[in-house]
Amino acid sequence: MSDRKLPRLLQTPAVLLLLVWMLIPLGMTLYFSFIRYVLNSLRRPEWTSPSLSNWRGFGNYEFVLKSKDFVLAIQNSLFIVCSILFLTVILGILIAVLINKTFPGQGIVRVLLISPFFVMPAVNAVLWINMILDPVLGLQGIAVAGINDILDGLRQMPLLGGFSSLWPEFEPISFRATQTSAIAVIMMVTWQWTPFAVLIFMTSLQSEDQQQKEAAILDGAGTWSQFRFLTLPHLGRPIAIVVMIQAIFHLSLYAEIEIVSRGNGNKNLPYLIGEFANNNIGAASATGIFAVILANIVAIFLLRMVGKTLME
Amino acid sequence: MGQIVLDKVSKSFGDVEVIPPLDLTIEDGEFTVFVGPSGCGKSTLLRMIAGLEDLTSGAIAIDGEDVTEVPPSKRGLAMVFQSYALYPHMTVRKNIGFPLRMEKMDQAEIDKRVETAATSLNLMDYLDRKPGQLSGGQRQRVAIGRAIVRDPSAFLFDEPLSNLDAALRVGMRLEISEMHERMQTTMIYVTHDQVEAMTMANKIVVLQAGVIEQVGSPLDLYHKPQNVFVAGFIGSPKMNIFTGPEAEKQGAHTIGIRPEHTDVSMTEGTWKGTVGVAEHLGSDTFIHVHNTGLADMVTVRISGDISVKHGDDIYLTPQPDQIHRFDAQGLRIE
Repeated sequence: MSDRKLPRLLQTPAVLLLLVWMLIPLGMTLYFSFIRYVLNSLRRPEWTSPSLSNWRGFGNYEFVLKSKDFVLAIQNSLFIVCSILFLTVILGILIAVLINKTFPGQGIVRVLLISPFFVMPAVNAVLWINMILDPVLGLQGIAVAGINDILDGLRQMPLLGGFSSLWPEFEPISFRATQTSAIAVIMMVTWQWTPFAVLIFMTSLQSEDQQQKEAAILDGAGTWSQFRFLTLPHLGRPIAIVVMIQAIFHLSLYAEIEIVSRGNGNKNLPYLIGEFANNNIGAASATGIFAVILANIVAIFLLRMVGKTLME
Repeated sequence: MGQIVLDKVSKSFGDVEVIPPLDLTIEDGEFTVFVGPSGCGKSTLLRMIAGLEDLTSGAIAIDGEDVTEVPPSKRGLAMVFQSYALYPHMTVRKNIGFPLRMEKMDQAEIDKRVETAATSLNLMDYLDRKPGQLSGGQRQRVAIGRAIVRDPSAFLFDEPLSNLDAALRVGMRLEISEMHERMQTTMIYVTHDQVEAMTMANKIVVLQAGVIEQVGSPLDLYHKPQNVFVAGFIGSPKMNIFTGPEAEKQGAHTIGIRPEHTDVSMTEGTWKGTVGVAEHLGSDTFIHVHNTGLADMVTVRISGDISVKHGDDIYLTPQPDQIHRFDAQGLRIE
């Protein structure tokens, strides 16, 4: 036993630091979630400092569950995360396979592909919502106006004008609206995070065994079969990594949602926490605990799914 | 059926010509071994036959049919790779069945064929394992099984035994030879190990820098090497080769004498030298002799054991009818 003591003793500071790092915030969140604690209250000034005498039990949780935005926030969190994961993994695999072949200018193309990942999330959101998706001034508005101009021109034509008049006028979509703001967030985050997936998949593709492919060619496997039976299983683990890391990151999206619509019709759990935290720290903490539970469920579920479908 | 004819086949990578135009015929049912030092182009030649490398010029015919432009999978050849190239995510059963699955064969028929192949290769107990759970020898068997199920007109082996340890290598060598005797299918086997070449082949093709140095049966190559390169490459330990006055005495530019064709005496003989390292194998003894004035070192092999010490004087006498003579171009003089 004595020869094990020394290593454990030496590990202790690191382990302690990690525990403190994790347990203190989690403990404080738990504590706040069970008491009445607000930042500012004229009527009940005793609630403005955290104290066990303000114990509320599961009252904060009930309050959060009953608030009108909670279900929307959960649904929206899942919808946004799953959509982004689906799109980034598919796009990531396609692009990685495409640029894995040697072609002139490969180096530059790879650097350009990775670059969206270096844009700050808030800048990314501002660029997309104002310069690309804006229905009037953005690329979208200009493109729709251009198409409508062409259609107008066709209607003026002498013979075929009759047919063309059946075409409706296109309307630009406002991505700040309640119904569409989540779509805008999904688009901009997918654009930003696809390079991450490409990067991970590309390194994995480069380690693929070429003799296996040659054996498969001799065995009569076409391009699709090689992809399906060799490349895709080979990418199983990197896909799991990409899904895990992105799930963790995207469950906590905040800047994009704030900038696109200030949470209008498009709240997720972190945004809801932010709203509660304007005053009601107790409710914000309870929402935080819900977020931790949701993140764990999502992680377990996704890992199982990816593991089963790909490891034949 | 599986006669393979190479007609003026050549290969260049950019400006570098790896294989100058080369003709070779491999008869149906023959066990042909391509042997040569590393980088001699033997693997490239095999890959060209398989269709994994394009030809720069020339043509390849299998059973009289030109297959130069035929894709690899349609040539009816099966290949076993040095790294086994098993599919790591599939079980042994799926690995062996993969070529049949690609042919869209009926599942029941696939199962039947896989089990037949697995039985003949002693793999029945491992069918549901993945390659990662198998030993090197078992993986090699799976790779062979994957080749057998296709019932190919010829098997191509690319240094299949070089990743195995010495004992397994001898065992697998026998198994492959046995398999050839049983199936009587054409086999082309690439190796840098001349022992494998000598023990397995019906016909050996010795290559150097993409050029065929000699084609012949193992004993042909041993008894009548056509040039100095083949003389030095075939046989273990290596033939002693020297130039100079002793060679001129024999009317040649270069002469060679195999270690096993040199008689040894402690008292008298043609050449005198001093004993260097003596390697005792029990059945044989290899003695490395220095200071003979012929070459840096002359190796001799004697049956049984002999008690010699480092630094002893020793006399060597070549058996006159076993001396190989070569001219200034390195070609054999009969």
